[in-house]
Amino acid sequence: MENFSLVFFIDVYNHQFPIHDLRLIGHEFIDISRTQNTEFNKVPMFMKTAPENIDPEKHPDLACIQSIIHDDHRTPEEKARSLKDEGNEYFKEKNYKKAIVSYTEGLKKNCMDIELNAILFTNRAAAHFHLGNMRSALNDATAAKKLKPDHIKAIIRGAQCSMELRNYAGASQWCDEGLGLIPTDKKLQELRATADKKKREADRDARKEKIKAKKEQNEKEALLAAIKERGIKLLKTEPSRHRGLDSEDGDGDGGVSRALADLELDGISSQEATGACVYMDEQGVLYWPVLLLYPEHSQTDFISAFCENSSFMDHLAVMFGEELPPWDSERKYQPQNLQLFFEDPEKGNLYQVDLEKSLLNVLQHQRCSVKAGTPSFIVLVSGSPFSKQFLSGKKVQRLK
Amino acid sequence: MCLNKKNKNLSLSTDLATMLSDGEAKELLSFLTLEMRADVKGQATGYILGLTGNRDGCRYLRSKPDFLKALVTLTRDPSITIVKDCYHALINLSADETLHQPLVKETDLLAILFQNLLDPEYMFADRICTILSNLSRHERTCRDVFSALQEQKIGLDKVVEIFCTEGFNKKASLHYLGPLLSNLTQLPEARHFILDKDRCVIQRLLPYTQYEESSTRRGGVVGTLRNCCFDYTHHEWLLSDAVDILPYLILPLAGPEELSEEENEGLPVDLQYLPEDKKREDDPDIRKMLLETLMLLTATKVGRQIMKNKNVYPIMREFHKWEKDPHVISACEKLIQVLIGDEPEAGMENLMEVEIPKDVEEKLKELDTKEQEQMEKDKQESEKQLKESPEGLER
Repeated sequence: MENFSLVFFIDVYNHQFPIHDLRLIGHEFIDISRTQNTEFNKVPMFMKTAPENIDPEKHPDLACIQSIIHDDHRTPEEKARSLKDEGNEYFKEKNYKKAIVSYTEGLKKNCMDIELNAILFTNRAAAHFHLGNMRSALNDATAAKKLKPDHIKAIIRGAQCSMELRNYAGASQWCDEGLGLIPTDKKLQELRATADKKKREADRDARKEKIKAKKEQNEKEALLAAIKERGIKLLKTEPSRHRGLDSEDGDGDGGVSRALADLELDGISSQEATGACVYMDEQGVLYWPVLLLYPEHSQTDFISAFCENSSFMDHLAVMFGEELPPWDSERKYQPQNLQLFFEDPEKGNLYQVDLEKSLLNVLQHQRCSVKAGTPSFIVLVSGSPFSKQFLSGKKVQRLK
Repeated sequence: MCLNKKNKNLSLSTDLATMLSDGEAKELLSFLTLEMRADVKGQATGYILGLTGNRDGCRYLRSKPDFLKALVTLTRDPSITIVKDCYHALINLSADETLHQPLVKETDLLAILFQNLLDPEYMFADRICTILSNLSRHERTCRDVFSALQEQKIGLDKVVEIFCTEGFNKKASLHYLGPLLSNLTQLPEARHFILDKDRCVIQRLLPYTQYEESSTRRGGVVGTLRNCCFDYTHHEWLLSDAVDILPYLILPLAGPEELSEEENEGLPVDLQYLPEDKKREDDPDIRKMLLETLMLLTATKVGRQIMKNKNVYPIMREFHKWEKDPHVISACEKLIQVLIGDEPEAGMENLMEVEIPKDVEEKLKELDTKEQEQMEKDKQESEKQLKESPEGLER
């Protein structure tokens, strides 16, 4: 490259005329002055200031490029080695991303030095490890080991990656391989012991989970059986997004899991969204979540655990006994005035409930069914105008 | 227990063994060379195999080291049938204790066996293991086997490695390396190696106490562990997290019982929440060995303390309910006694160092012999109904 500065004119009176700084690049003259502010200026070849004046902290890439400048004179091994060193420098600064770049470049040189390549893989694995890229790290460790099966650092790294990936059996295998080479290596022994411990804990957790799930399954099956035994009808929910969860159920237990799902989902999707669900106590007694609806005032009450052996009056006496609800503006919702009905969803008929009877008894009524896992009842005040209006036009089965 | 795999011309052999003149023997020997014609060679080896099928034949060969040498040499024969016959003959010979020294001293059998053992493609590796475990049964030749391991620059660690490498040899299961290891640990040097704290040897063997596919392998490992537990100076280490031997000894004895959540949480991790299809060890001999090993671990105060703290009593309680074999039950009861009993009085803390008065010692020996005799009687009776093991191996 020859450096021609050609003619320059100075305008004594005014500004300088543009200075043409022409350099011969290849066969072309290129006017450097035109490229003042471009990337060109960052390239050592075209820089105005000498490379030594560039701060390597600010432009570490330069260091990289600088070495590439002298590319032609070096063997692939030498280049790869420099890149390894460079990567190591970045690694020390904890600049793992840049380290990976350097190591990758080193590997791309495809030099013949197996040891060097193994080191490049191993170091790159370490960089990935510190970035949390466990799979990449493991791949690199594996590649290193393939090149050089006795490369202990690669084996240790492989074990560590497997641990992080929770493949404890795999980690043990790496350790055993390493211990085959250096039986007394403390690090490997430690890793192996940890992997072994974690594996056994994970096995225990799986066993515990399985037993828990089985127990829950049994409890739910017993619950369903109890409900069925009582002759209580459960209504399925409308096909909804919930359905998707269980339609692929391959349990082979017939309708049980579907029914269980109904029970579960319904409990969760109950209007009160309390997650309450029917349950059975140790004596085999059922407790239901029950909704009371007050259409007159658009109010509801939710009884989370209504014992099947209790009567409505038991609850109403307490709920409306001492204090009447705030929405009862007319003060007429007194226990003795209340009438409860359930609706037959099929035909839309209303059936009056005998308040002295147990919940179980009511639920066993032929036309009574439980929707969304929560029995619900309409509450009206006997003889009130609203009640008359509400009940007109409906088929009502009254108590005799 | 010298039984051969191929009962060729048995009755004929017995007669011939006594009738074989020196000249005939010489001729027979001349047939047993690598260079000999295949059919003649084959007949000769078949004949020898027949000889080894009974005690007299074996004893006869004991006085004929040249025959032994020839057999060993012919294991290199290109014909598989011949090699097979040779190995079977060697198995039978090795099942007879009186042949041990001639075999190892007059031939280079051990060198050949070990070299071939290392070959992952060697199809007779299982037979090698059988021979080795036979030869290592009694202390004297066991030492020779152990020395050969060192001389061949193989070492016990290689044996353990091969043993613990799944699928090391596609054509052989190598289960009999278990009994080999167990036999070798009658030597302190072997125990020393397996119990090396700076290595990771015994830890690799532990999982095999649950190895379902082979009771030979399982039994061999349990035997190894039991032998190692005679060295009570290692007990604390064995019971610590570094090795954690206890769960591996107890798991085979644990069943599918449902223990309460409380009891579960108090157990070592490996014994918690066992599934309902959990099976116990079905070989009573192995069960007994496990209990004996556990008993050994209770010899020191520290060992007792640790075992009590690990709270394995519920498992032993359930095991005791399940066990039917009277010998095993009694071993179990002894263990439970220690687990829930009080500490022995001062001076008796290390049960292995307690001085037993002479007369008591003699009485105990007497009782032991009587018990042994009874057990032998029981065993023989039950053995009459069982199939006999072809390898002629005793634990």
